[in-house]
Order: sequence, then C-alpha cells, then structure tokens
Amino acid sequence: MFSESVLRLLTEDLLVRVLEKLGSDADRKSWRLVCKEFLRIESLTRRKVRILRIEFLLGLLQTYCNIETLDLSVCPRIDDGAVSVMLSHGSLNWTKGLRRLVLCRATGLGYRGLGQLIRACPLLEAVDVSHCWVFGDREAAALSYATRLKELKMDKCLGVTDVGLASIAVGCSNLKSLSLKWCFEISNLGIDLLCKKCLDLEILDISYLKLTSESLKSIASLSKLEMLVMVGCSFVDDVGLRFLEKGCPHLKAIDVSRCDFVSSSALTSLVSGRSSLLQIDARYCFLELSFPLVECLKNLQNLTVIRIDAVQVSDLALQIIGTSCKSLLEIGLSKCIGVTNMGIMQLVSGCESCPHLICLMLESCDMVTEKSFYDLGSRCLLLEELDLTECSGINDRALKYLSRCSGLLTLKLGLCTNISDVGLAYIGCNFPKLAEIDLYRCVCIGDDGLAALASGCKELIKLNVSYCNRITDRGMEYISYLGELSELEMRGLVNITGMGISKVAVNCRRLADLDLKHCEKIGDPGCWAIAFYAHNLRQINLSYCAVSDVVLYLLMGKLKRLQEVKLVNVSEATVRGLELGLRASCGRIKKVKLQTSLSLLLSSEILDMLHLRGCKIRWD
Amino acid sequence: MPPQNHQVQAKASPNSPSLPDFIMQHSNQQRCEDPSMSDYGIRMETLFKECNQACGTKSLLPCGSNDGIKIPNQENCQMGDTSQTGKLQDWDPSIMLENLSFLEDKIHQIRGLLHLIANKKGQQLGQPDEIITQEKQLITANLTSIIVQLISTAGSLLPSVKLAASNTSPSVGQHGQIPGITFPSGLGPSSSSIQPQHDIRDKISDQSNQIDLTNMCEMEQNHMEEHELKDEEDGDEGENLPPGSFEILQLEKEEILAPHTHFCTICGKGFKRDANLRMHMRGHGDEYKTPEALAKPNKESESEPKLIKRYSCPYPGCKRNKDHKKFQPLKTILCVKNHYKRTHCDKSYICSRCHTKKFSVMADLKTHEKHCGKDKWLCSCGTTFSRKDKLFGHIALFQGHTPAIPLDESKAPVGQADMEITENNNNNNNNKGGSINLSFGSNASSCENGIQNMMNVKGITDDPISYLSSLNFETCNFGEFNDFPRPPFEDTTKGSFPFLMSESFNYSPKCGGESCPNNLL
Repeated sequence: MFSESVLRLLTEDLLVRVLEKLGSDADRKSWRLVCKEFLRIESLTRRKVRILRIEFLLGLLQTYCNIETLDLSVCPRIDDGAVSVMLSHGSLNWTKGLRRLVLCRATGLGYRGLGQLIRACPLLEAVDVSHCWVFGDREAAALSYATRLKELKMDKCLGVTDVGLASIAVGCSNLKSLSLKWCFEISNLGIDLLCKKCLDLEILDISYLKLTSESLKSIASLSKLEMLVMVGCSFVDDVGLRFLEKGCPHLKAIDVSRCDFVSSSALTSLVSGRSSLLQIDARYCFLELSFPLVECLKNLQNLTVIRIDAVQVSDLALQIIGTSCKSLLEIGLSKCIGVTNMGIMQLVSGCESCPHLICLMLESCDMVTEKSFYDLGSRCLLLEELDLTECSGINDRALKYLSRCSGLLTLKLGLCTNISDVGLAYIGCNFPKLAEIDLYRCVCIGDDGLAALASGCKELIKLNVSYCNRITDRGMEYISYLGELSELEMRGLVNITGMGISKVAVNCRRLADLDLKHCEKIGDPGCWAIAFYAHNLRQINLSYCAVSDVVLYLLMGKLKRLQEVKLVNVSEATVRGLELGLRASCGRIKKVKLQTSLSLLLSSEILDMLHLRGCKIRWD
Repeated sequence: MPPQNHQVQAKASPNSPSLPDFIMQHSNQQRCEDPSMSDYGIRMETLFKECNQACGTKSLLPCGSNDGIKIPNQENCQMGDTSQTGKLQDWDPSIMLENLSFLEDKIHQIRGLLHLIANKKGQQLGQPDEIITQEKQLITANLTSIIVQLISTAGSLLPSVKLAASNTSPSVGQHGQIPGITFPSGLGPSSSSIQPQHDIRDKISDQSNQIDLTNMCEMEQNHMEEHELKDEEDGDEGENLPPGSFEILQLEKEEILAPHTHFCTICGKGFKRDANLRMHMRGHGDEYKTPEALAKPNKESESEPKLIKRYSCPYPGCKRNKDHKKFQPLKTILCVKNHYKRTHCDKSYICSRCHTKKFSVMADLKTHEKHCGKDKWLCSCGTTFSRKDKLFGHIALFQGHTPAIPLDESKAPVGQADMEITENNNNNNNNKGGSINLSFGSNASSCENGIQNMMNVKGITDDPISYLSSLNFETCNFGEFNDFPRPPFEDTTKGSFPFLMSESFNYSPKCGGESCPNNLL
C-alpha cells in the first residue's frame, strides 16, 4: 500500500522525466512491467518501435501511437498484404507522426504496398530500403510520393535505374542524404539529373556505381554537399576529382576508397585547400602515402577520421599525422605496409597527439608488438574500437597493457594465435563494456578463457569463436551466461555437442545470428533445441552439420523470425526434407544458400515459389 | 519522271558532307519563294523527307567544313522569318523595320556565301569537275534565291507595291543571267513571282512548316500529325501561283494507284522506275544498249523553259481537287500519289510491332517501324522520347515532370503481391460487412484475426501444399509445444494476449486466446 501511494505522488510529468533517463531496452522493459500507469506512460512517450514479428504489428502500432520511427527491418514477413491490413485496421494515429521508416531487407514488399505506406505517412522524412534487392523503378516511384523526404537509403536496390532515381529526384527535392550504393543500374544521366533537382544534398553515397568523371562534374555543382562517398567507382579518375576541387565548397568528408584511377596527387590537390575537412578515406587506393599528401595533411587541424588501408607508410608520415591532426578520432591503417612499433608510438605519443582517439584499425600490421600497446594503453584511454586481426605480434601481455582502456567496445583478435586464456582473463577483467569480440582461430583459448570473458563482459553482443577447437560444451555453458548475446559464430567447433548448443539456445534469448558450420557433433538434439528455444533467430548457418529431415523441417517451420539460412551439404537431410523445410519457411525466408547440385534436384515449383516471395537462392 | 532523277541526288547527299549539302538545306528553307525555283523545289521535296527522317533519328544533317558559317546563317534566317509570322500584309512601319532587319540578315548571308565560294575556289583543285560544277551551281542558285528574297523584301519597303515590283524586275533579270540557273529573266510584274506580298506570305507559311518540322523532330509522338504535315508540304500550300500560270494535270485514280508507272512497250512489263525500265529494255535488243537510249530521257529539256506543271487530286471535294474553290495544287506526281493514298485510301499497312498504327503509304509504315517497339522513354506529361538522355534533358528542364514507368512490364513478384492484395481486400470487406463471422468491432484481437486470416488466405491462394503441410506440422505432431512467442526485447507484453498463436493456430480449435497461456512456461 505504501508503495502505491508513493507512486501516486508521481505525476505523469515526473514519470515521463524519469523514463527519459532510462537508456537501455532492458531497463525500459522493467519499467513497463511495473504497473499499467507506467506502461501507459511508456507507450505514450516511446518514439521508436522495432517490430520482430508480424503477429504483434497491429497491436503494437495501436499501443504506440506517438512513434516517430518504425523499424520493420527484422520482421521478415512484411509484404503488400500485410501493409494493406496494417493500414486498414484500427486507428491510424501512428502514421501521423511517423518520420522514419526502416524497411531494410523487406524484400516481400512491392511497389503497391510501399506506395500505400508512404502515402499514409504524411510527415515521413527518412526511409531506409537498403538491401531490398527486388526493388526497381516502380518502388522508387512509390518512394517519390514522400515529398518531405530528407534521408533515403537504397543500397543494393538492384533494379533501380536512372528512371527510378529521376522520379525520386523530382519527387523528393528536399533530399539531404542519399545512398545509392550498389544500385548498379544508375548511370551518369541519373546522377546528373539528381544534382540538378536535389540542390540540398549534403550526403551522397555513389559507391560501386558505374559512373565516370562526368558525374563528378554534376556533383561538384552541389553547393551544400558535405560528404561524398564513392567507394569502388573505378571509372572515376583525376579529371573527376579536379571537378570536385572547384566545386562543393562545404565538403567535409570524402571517400575515394578502391577508386583505382584516382591518383595521390589529385587527392592532394583536392584536400589541400580545405582546412575544414573532417574525414578522408582512401583505402586500397594508392600504393604508398606520398609525401605531398602527408604535407597537406598537416593543415587539416580538424580531421577526425583518416583511413588509408593498404598503403605503404613510413614512421615519419605517422609522426606527422600524429602531431598535426590533433582531433583524430579514428585511424585506419589496416593492411598498411611499414607500420612499426616506432610508427605507432610516434602516432600516439607525440606531444599531446591523438588524445581523443576512439578507433584504431591495425589489421595485418605484423610488425606491431606489445611494445606499442604500452603507449597505446597509457595514452589513448578513450579507445572504443581496436582491430588487431592477424597481428601476430599481439600476445597476452599486449592485452594487459590495454587494461586502462576500460571503455573498449569492440576488440578484434582474429588469427592472433598467441592469445591464450590469460589474455581473455585480462579482457574479462578490464573491459566491462565490451560488446563485440572476435576470437576467430585463436586456437590457444579454451573453456577457462570463455569463463573469464563471460563473467566480465556481460554486455557482449557479438562473439566469434570459430575454429577455437579447444572449446567444449563447458565453454558453451559459459557463453550461455551472456544474456545480451545476439550474434554467435562458432564454426568448426568439433567438440561441441547438442548439449552445449542447447544451453546457448535456451539461455541466450536474444540470439539472432548463429553460425554452426562444420559443428559436426551438434546433430539433431542441438538443432531441436534451437528450433524450440531460439525464437529470435534471424540467420542460421547449418552447413556441414548432421541434421535429419524432421529436425530441419521443425527448425525451418518453427523459427518464425528466420530470414536467412545456409544449408550447404547438410548431411542426413534428403532432398525431400530440404524441400519440406523450405516450404515450411516460405514467405519469411529471404535468403537461402544451398549446394549447386541441388539446383537440379529441387522441384522447380518450390524454387519459383521462393523467388516469388522475394527469397534469393545462392548456389554454392 | 522528274523526281526520280533528283531522288538519286538527294539520297547521295547526306552521305557526303560537303558544300552542296549545306546549300541544299539552306535553299530548302527558301524554296517556296520563287516558282521559277520549282526545279529545286522538287529536288528539295525529296530531300525534305530525307531531312525529316534524319531529324527524327536525331542524326543531325551532315555539314562540311563550313558549319561555322552555316549555323549562324540559318539561325539568323529563321529569326528573321519568325518575326514576320502572323503579321499583316498591309504597309506598316513595324513590318518595315522587321523587313529591314531581315534584309540585314540576308546581306550577311550573302557575304557568308561569297566567302564560302572564295574559300572553295582554293580547295577545288583536286576534286572531279562534276562535283565542282555541281557545287558551283548550287552555290549560285542559293545566292540567287537569297538575292531574290532581298529584292522582294526591299520592294516591300516601298509604299507602293506595284512600284516595287516594277523596280525589282530589272535587277532580277540581271541576276538571272547567272549560268546554270533556270531563272526566268523575263518575268514581268504580272508573273508575280517576286511580288512582295505573296513572297512574305510564302515565307510565313514556309516558316510555319519549319516550326512544325522542328517540333516533329523533337517529339515524334504522333505519326499521324506528321503525315498531315507531310501532306501540307506535298501540296505546297503557300505556293499561291496565280491561276493560269501553270498547267493543271489530273491523273485518274487507277493511274495513281497503279503499282507501276513505266511499262515496257515490247513485253508490257511494268516498272516503278524509269531507270529500271531502261535497264530492262537492254534485253530487247542492241538498239536499247546505246548510251543515248540509256541516258535519262529529260536531260535536254532543262534548257528550254517549260510551262510549270501542277497536279490535281481526282477525288471530288478534296482541297487538292481543281474544282475546289480554295484549290491548292499538288506539286509532283509523287505528291499526288502520297496525298491520294494517305487521304483517300484505306490504311492497309499495319505496324507489325504495335499492331495499332496503320498506314496507307509503305514508306510511312517503315518510318514508323523504325521507332516503334524501341524503348520508349516516357515522361509523366505524356511526351515520349526515343532516347533516354533526351527524356532526362526534358525532365531537368521542366518543374514537376517525372519519368513515367510503363505499366505493362510487370514483374512476377509484383503480380503475386497484387493478387494477395485483392484477396486481402475482399477479406477485409467481408469482415467489415460481417458476412464472415470472424471479427466484429475494432479491438485488437479482431485485427489479429484479420491479419491471420490474411496470412491463411494467402497460404491458400499461393500454395495450398505449403499451407497444408504447415498445418499438419503444427497440429498433429507438435500441438503442445510452446509456440508462444516470447516477448522480445523491443516488444511489450500486452494486457490480454490476443496474438499468442502463430498464423496457423487460428485454425486449430483448441488454441483459443485463453488456452495459450497454459502452454507457456
């Protein structure tokens, strides 16, 4: 009774304020469970909803009528029918305030449904339809109804051509941010029109498009452009960069990664005049970091991000970068040749250099050893992301030196074969916030290491222990303590049996992505457990596992959120079993990988059906 | 017949970008000014069609080294002409002013031409004589036509038309002496060929044709209009020869529609072309193999001034029929044929691609088929383009225009979705009408029913097997398992769990909304 009266003192206004302080989803969930009033407050103030299952869709939309963001990206069964039901049932209050719509991977959706949805939401400002590979010009035309659109992401909408882009450019002339990555059909013409119609563009991603420098001429006319990402535009050359040099006065970020015909000198002259530049990406672009470019980096006081993967660097260059670019937050030196301990030391230890460094990528920098981590660990205390994949010089001691970087969120130690359980113990003790760790082929680690990791890093979301052969079922039990775990990659763990995986399936409720390739001992019992308990599984790889027809069928039928399955060489499963399994999951499954030999054995009817439902089959 | 000879010439010209080309085009614009230029007019007639097509396919007419001169000239000319369109023919100071500027342009043109000639003389050394003389003729012809325009326009500046005409005639005569040009020097005021009023009007109509033509080139949307335009040209609407100054011929219908016009006098075989007949005649004996017999028959007639021939359409009541009160004669036999077929015959040629467009002239069909079935780039305003960049240029130019996506090419998944929608709609309507006892009211559970119905309906329509197998699976073997979807982190638990069951569960009677919680763990 007492507590009730206390709660009564809290007015709605106060409750809202308290709720605002709650950050994590788990906390909010606890809040919801307190009482109906709390639930009501939460539902009124909630701005974002991410739907996992279509069954909840209508109810949730009625409850959360003040949402600004609707995320349907992990709800695989959104299609035209679902949209029309969604819009014809109950009140449509939720559409009134909706500003952001995430339809990533909603391949079941067609232009009709998309058009309906877009038209129903008058205030829509941001739409994400990336990876909807079936989308074409019609869908683009449907998107163009959203006249207030400011942000559009349509990566990998493979069918969108210049015509579709033109309708978007004309319909959504207020666009500020547009990503066209992998929309291979788009050509210079479309980009030219876009640049004539959408004059407010600030962020443009044209990665991997077949554009020439002619497009950059058009892009250079965008006076408000701040960020241009053109990864892998292999037809663009220095002429294009020269156009950019003259235009785009507000350019803050440029990404010319993998542009094979862009030379270092062209980038130098583009960069040299712009002291306001914040971000330079030139990965896999040049063979070496030329001296003029390093010289002009000296003037970029505000530079926050520099990624120059796979170039040859010298200690001197790193020193210049370290001493002159004082605002650097992220340095990408992956696969760079010539990165030494000395270089790293000078990069981080020059007078008050890189005090804010958050992210450091050192993949395949062989010459880096624990010595440089002593400096790193003592100076870059704000470090959040560290990629040390294939740095064979890394050992347990290096991890110990890093112990003061307690804010570390991501740590990649793939192929660092010198890491042992001791190293994992340091990690477990020192990085409580760690969300992602990659231990791919760290063959020396075992169950004890996982125990330390699981007891220390409770926030772990992503874990990769592939080919760490010493891990047994006991290790799996430790992993199952990680309540937040959502991605687990454990390829080739031959010692794991059904027992181990069942523990993970039962306890890791949020598990969404599971890779069991070559886990040959898991067998039917393990998969059975997965089928029954891992309800949030979105993606599973069962290639080279021993699963029988019945269990496969069960798994595919029961996992209602499953979107992507890899079933290459599933021993013990027959063609008929596979077919039944595919049938059971048809409609929600969006991507299947099968061995090529099955392409002739599976009935064409099932293949057609899968295709019709927006499912892509990859033949291995 | 005369057109044949010229056709050959005209056909050859687009391939050889040279001076004659330019001049041909140029005189093309002005061909109607002077009936004495009719010889050219005919040639131009055929060329004009060629131009037409060339423009349609956007391959610009070839121009030689002289385009620097050509382009401004043409533009000037057009500007001058357009300024006159729609003006009254009465004496008017504003017209005077415009005429003056027109004169300026023309003088400019002449200067350009003369420069051209001067330049050409230097280069002609290596070229065969024939071409040189041909070019010379064309240049001088063009020069003449411009000068005639000049004179006539200058004449119109005078307050009295009569006076102008009489004033101009001597100078015309002077220019008429230029060799190789069939310019009748003895034309008096009565022949009115240079009479300013007519002249202006001619130009006006000519110009309007030109404008239409350019439109046509840009947007080849309606071929029918094109034909009508062609008709106009064929008929030479703006010619306005005074009655009696030409001879009117009227071919009979059978004659017009006859497939062959040239018949062998020996065996009776018919030919479309005189040249082919002559080739055929060689087989009848050696006397037909002499160069004289094989030569073009009407070469010699060039020198002597002929009475101009004009044609009448045999169809009574037609504007082209000589009995019509506003009779407008047709210029050539080819014009008669095309006019008659287009306006008075059935359109028996059907496009084999679209199966909708019909034509009565084979050439029209072929022109159409060239473009039909190609990617049509369509704008939301209804304009079509043969090329994507043209469409995009158009869209960039106009506010609010977007590319339209043709509806016929529908993708398979889309069709599927379509079907689903109709199914769903039916279902929803039924629900609302209450004809199916699934849901009433608008509470959440009814919605759930709705959506589940939808799913089931979909299952049935899409693939009965999948639906059945799924049902079997759920009810028979694993009826008890806890399919209760655990509330995932982002989802909230609702007060009453109306959506506990998954799609197929709706159909299994034992799993109502209440029984499911029992299944929970």
